[in-house]
Amino acid sequence: MRQLPYRFSRKTQTLRAAALALLPALAGARLPPAAAGADDAAARGAYLAATAGCSQCHTAERGAPYAGGRVLETRFGAVVTPNITPDRRTGIGGWSAADFAQAMRWGIAPDDSRYLPAFPFPFYNRLEPRDLADLKAFLDRLPAVSRVNRAVAPQPFAAARGAVAVLAMDLPGPWRPDPGKGAVWNRGAYLVATIGRCGDCHTPRNWLGALDPDRVLAGGIDGEGHAAPDITPDAAAGIGRWSLGDIVTLLEDGQKPDFDFVGGAMGEVVKSTAGLDDADRRAIAIYLKSLPPIGSSATGSPQKARSSKKD
Amino acid sequence: MTPSAKRRLLGAVWTIGIFAAVAAPAPAPAQDKQAVLKERQTTMKQQGRDLGRIKGYLDGTADQSAAVAAATDLTRTTGKIPDLFPPGTTGPSPDGKYQPKPAVWSERTKFLDVQKAAAAKAEALLAAVKGGDKTAVRTAFIDLGKNGCGSCHTGFREKLKP
Repeated sequence: MRQLPYRFSRKTQTLRAAALALLPALAGARLPPAAAGADDAAARGAYLAATAGCSQCHTAERGAPYAGGRVLETRFGAVVTPNITPDRRTGIGGWSAADFAQAMRWGIAPDDSRYLPAFPFPFYNRLEPRDLADLKAFLDRLPAVSRVNRAVAPQPFAAARGAVAVLAMDLPGPWRPDPGKGAVWNRGAYLVATIGRCGDCHTPRNWLGALDPDRVLAGGIDGEGHAAPDITPDAAAGIGRWSLGDIVTLLEDGQKPDFDFVGGAMGEVVKSTAGLDDADRRAIAIYLKSLPPIGSSATGSPQKARSSKKD
Repeated sequence: MTPSAKRRLLGAVWTIGIFAAVAAPAPAPAQDKQAVLKERQTTMKQQGRDLGRIKGYLDGTADQSAAVAAATDLTRTTGKIPDLFPPGTTGPSPDGKYQPKPAVWSERTKFLDVQKAAAAKAEALLAAVKGGDKTAVRTAFIDLGKNGCGSCHTGFREKLKP
C-alpha cells in the first residue's frame, strides 16, 4: 500500500529515531576502528557524506563548505540549500538525532515546517537509522558557520507539483535487506537505493513527476535535462554487455568500456564514486548486473532510428 | 592624384581585400560540415582505441611498443582537436548520441585551454609509457582520461535529449 508520509505518527518516528541514536557504532565497522565509538561514527558519516556529495549542493559558490546557500534548479522549482553546519542559530547545531532523522527521512523540520519540494527525498527516506546517526555524527564535528538561510520567491505552482510527486511516490522508510540474497548484493542494492540515489536520474518519472516503480533504473532524465541511460543489464540500451570490472572502472575513473570518459552530470557523480571503497563499487556492480533487463524506450529506440537513417 | 599615389591606393585596397578573405572564411558548405562531423567522431573513437591499447599494456595484454605508438597517436590527435571544431559545425555526432555545446565556439579561449591541458596530459602519458613504470603510466592514463577527456566532455559535450 502507498504510505502518506505526513500521516505517520510523529511519536513513532521520534521513538524509533531516538532508539537508534543510542546504538550508533555498535554493529559491523567496515572502516578500521579509529579510537572511540563516536570517532567511528563520524568517520563512517564522512564516508557517506562524501559518497552522497552533500557538500556539492550544501555549499555556495566560494562559500564555506556545508554552510548552504547554493540555488538549485530542481524539477519542482528553485530551492536554496540550507546551512547544515552545527551553528546553533543558523545551522543544525541545536538538533537532536531524532530531529535530524525526521528531516532527512520525512522532510519535516524541528519547527514542523516542511522541506518541500526537495525533501522528503525518496532515496534518503530509505537510509538506515545507523547511517543517519553516522551522518549526524559527522556533521556535528564540522566547524560551525553562521550563515542565515534565505528563501527563494514562492513558486506555488512548482511547489504544488513537487508535493503531488511526493504524495504519488512510495516512501517506505528504512531499507530492508533481502534475506534471500547475499551480503554483497544487499550492500550494492542499498547503496543504489539510498545514498547513491542512482534512480534520481536513471529511473523515468510518470506524468506526476513520481519515479516509475515499474521501470526502475531503465533510463531517465538527469538534473541538467539530458538523457540518463538505462543501467539495467539490457544488451542494447543498458549495461548487458558490460562486465563487473567495466562497471567498477566507470565508477572509479569515469571510463566506459569503449574508453569514452563520462562528463556532465555523471562526471559529477564519478567525483563521489571515485572515493568509494573498491568493495562498495563491486557491490554496486554485482547488484546492477543482477537486475532484470528492462531497456530504455526513452533513450534507446529513437536514437537507434536516427542513426540508422544517417548511416 | 598622381599615378603613383593611385597605384599605392589600389595596392592597399588589394591587400585589405586579401586579408579580409583569409581572415573571415565563409561558413563551411553542408557536405564539408558532414565530413567534419564524421571526422570528429572518427578521431574521438580512434583516441578511445589508443587508450584501450595503453590499458592493454597496463593489463599485460599489449607490449610497450604498441603502447608507445598509441600514446604518440594521442599526442597528435589531442593536438588537432581545434581543427575538428571549425565555426559553423555544430550538430549531432553520426551515431546521434552527442553534440557539441555552443560554448565550444562562444567560449573559445576556455575550450582551447581545456584542449591544451589534454594535449599536455597526452605528452605526459607518452613520457610515462616510454619510461615503462606502470604505476606512472596508470596515473597519467587516468589523468588524461578523467581530467583531459572528461573535463571537455563535461563543459563542451552535450548528451542529446531523448
